[in-house]
Amino acid sequence: MIQEEQKNEHREWTELNMGPQHPSTHGVLRLKVKLDGETVKEVEPIIGYLHRNAEKICELDYYCDSLIYFDRMDYVAAMNMEVGYLEAAEKLLNIPPPERAQWIRVIMAELGRIAAHLVWAGAFGLDLGMLSPFFYCFVQREKILRIFTEICGSRQETNYMSIGGVYQDINENIIYMIEEFTKEFPDKLEEIFNAFVKNDIFMSRNKGIGILEPDVAIQYAVTGPMLRASGIEYDVRKAEPYLVYDKLNFDIPVSYKKDNLARFLVRFEEMRQSVRIVKQAIKKIPDGPYFNPKAKKSLMIRLRGEGEVYARTESPKGEFGVYLVGDGGVKPYRVRVRSPSLRNLSVIRHLGKDVLIADLIAISGTIDLVFGEVDR
Amino acid sequence: MDVLTRLAHFFAPLTHYVAYILAYLFESIFLVIFVTIVLVFMIYLFRKYMARVQLRIGPNRVGKFGLLQLMADGLKLAGKESILPKGRDDLPFRIAPLIVFIGLVMSFAILPYGDFYWIGSLTITHSNVSVILLFAAIAIMPIGEILAGVSSRNKYAILGALRGVAKDVSFEVPMMISVIALVMMASARTSEPLNLSDLVSSQIIPFGIPEVIGLLVFFISMIARASYSPFDMGESDSELVSGHSTEYSGMRFGMFYMGLFGSIFLSSMMVSLLYLGGYNGPFSSDAGFVYLLIKTVVLVLIAFTVWLSVPRIRIDRFVNMGWKYLLPISIINLIIAGIITLGVGL
Repeated sequence: MIQEEQKNEHREWTELNMGPQHPSTHGVLRLKVKLDGETVKEVEPIIGYLHRNAEKICELDYYCDSLIYFDRMDYVAAMNMEVGYLEAAEKLLNIPPPERAQWIRVIMAELGRIAAHLVWAGAFGLDLGMLSPFFYCFVQREKILRIFTEICGSRQETNYMSIGGVYQDINENIIYMIEEFTKEFPDKLEEIFNAFVKNDIFMSRNKGIGILEPDVAIQYAVTGPMLRASGIEYDVRKAEPYLVYDKLNFDIPVSYKKDNLARFLVRFEEMRQSVRIVKQAIKKIPDGPYFNPKAKKSLMIRLRGEGEVYARTESPKGEFGVYLVGDGGVKPYRVRVRSPSLRNLSVIRHLGKDVLIADLIAISGTIDLVFGEVDR
Repeated sequence: MDVLTRLAHFFAPLTHYVAYILAYLFESIFLVIFVTIVLVFMIYLFRKYMARVQLRIGPNRVGKFGLLQLMADGLKLAGKESILPKGRDDLPFRIAPLIVFIGLVMSFAILPYGDFYWIGSLTITHSNVSVILLFAAIAIMPIGEILAGVSSRNKYAILGALRGVAKDVSFEVPMMISVIALVMMASARTSEPLNLSDLVSSQIIPFGIPEVIGLLVFFISMIARASYSPFDMGESDSELVSGHSTEYSGMRFGMFYMGLFGSIFLSSMMVSLLYLGGYNGPFSSDAGFVYLLIKTVVLVLIAFTVWLSVPRIRIDRFVNMGWKYLLPISIINLIIAGIITLGVGL
């Protein structure tokens, strides 16, 4: 035994750099992989290729202006990022959004969640070598982006919400579009779902691969669908409801299988639940102002905040936290973002040990990385 | 009368040997032109078909229906700088794409094509052992791929080449065993079962009907030979960038690309020749080539559908499949073929 161990120590491992311009890695992830033949012995994620210093820039800007940097953090789910920032900023500035704006935000955040998960599903298919489902996902995502375009004129970096409400009220046309979408989408989602799970090769690539034990997940501060796929029922929307999530009826999908497939199923179930939320919210949305007059445009840059707040929201990737410190000035003293992807990525060191290269790619696919958010 | 004899008659005023050398030369040129046309058609068909499957339009800008897109792409590839990596093994790196392409053209030269109206037989090579020649020729292409992977001094390329070797070893044995079953079947009807033309002509009932298992094994092997999804572990783009061809660019890359599509067409043609009756058709025997093309194109479309809809299988699972499933069932198939040949005498 001892001799064997010594042998292994002296054995030379191939060192392979995957990324940052590797076709499999999402964005600019660089994985430094040590290989023994096809088996991955060690994996070290190296980040920072998309670092844009967003937190510091936010500290140099007015409270209302920082929003666009949050749009560009998780750029596939900009609406959720806006919700996350505004939860903190409005708490600090003490400008609660009116009821209607809160409902609109919930609808937009859930649509954004669906859009983000669709991107993930398509990219995950590509990771496994499935070329076609990527496009099926993007056709559906396009419908959501059309709604966003109608509502604020922009597809991805929406910049739709603002301190004290939303930039613009939703009209009948948009409500109609959203209703149409929620009517059509579930069937299409099942089609996409079946394209994956009715494939034996897909199942064999994911069943029992990349098992993440719940205690390890907690040690690495993993949140979001990854945590829920490990059997821990934790979702900020239920655990600490923000906006109007406590008035809505929805379930938190949990899987106890802990593997790649569990993460896949949890994300698809989340999309179904999001549709459910949107369906309810579009019916319940009350009349009233969509904007808090305390934060009207001419006063916006004079908003002063003092104290410190931490607000957490559930972004598609996991728990998105924003920590703000105000010193009584018009600009925040400190902005700090707890990005879920960064924590979720760190667990790849643990998951990527003694797996094959193909499985490493599949595992990094299920983590759902968006590098705008990891590096900020 | 076939093309070769016609050409030899045309050059008859020269001496006998010169006439035949010229005839073979011209026939080779025709063959290369045929292969090129096939490749252009295949790539166009693939792009259009892929676009339809993926709810897109596909190439539609250059020429009518984007028909000239391939010309534009070819020109672009030809005009590109061919980047040679530092530390390469020079000669193998340069000849590897050529080996792939030559292997492809050679395989096409050995296939029997059947009759085509007034031209007569299109078959180029007449040999008593053309089955063996054909499988020797298609075994040339992996050598080019492995050389490319090893000589380009790139870790992705080496990994790709090693995967390619593991893959080839595990599917070629069952493939050859299912071909042996075919030769056995044919030997009941013809005195030269190793001659491809005789092998095809002896299929009164296409061999695919009594030999369904063999057809399955052979089709799977052919997918692996052409190496597209689900068996594209050798150049899996999400894991190994593009495997053995990672370091190639320009026309050298183009040759690997053509090799891929050419081998899809080649393997479809081989399946249709060996298992689906090839150029045998219900009506006029003059139209043999047309029957062959129709069968091949249908098989090509099936291959594309497989390519576009399934994920990549893991290399260790593929090796397992090759040795633990394909090999036993191909041996069962061989036994069935023996029983049919002796007992029923199809």
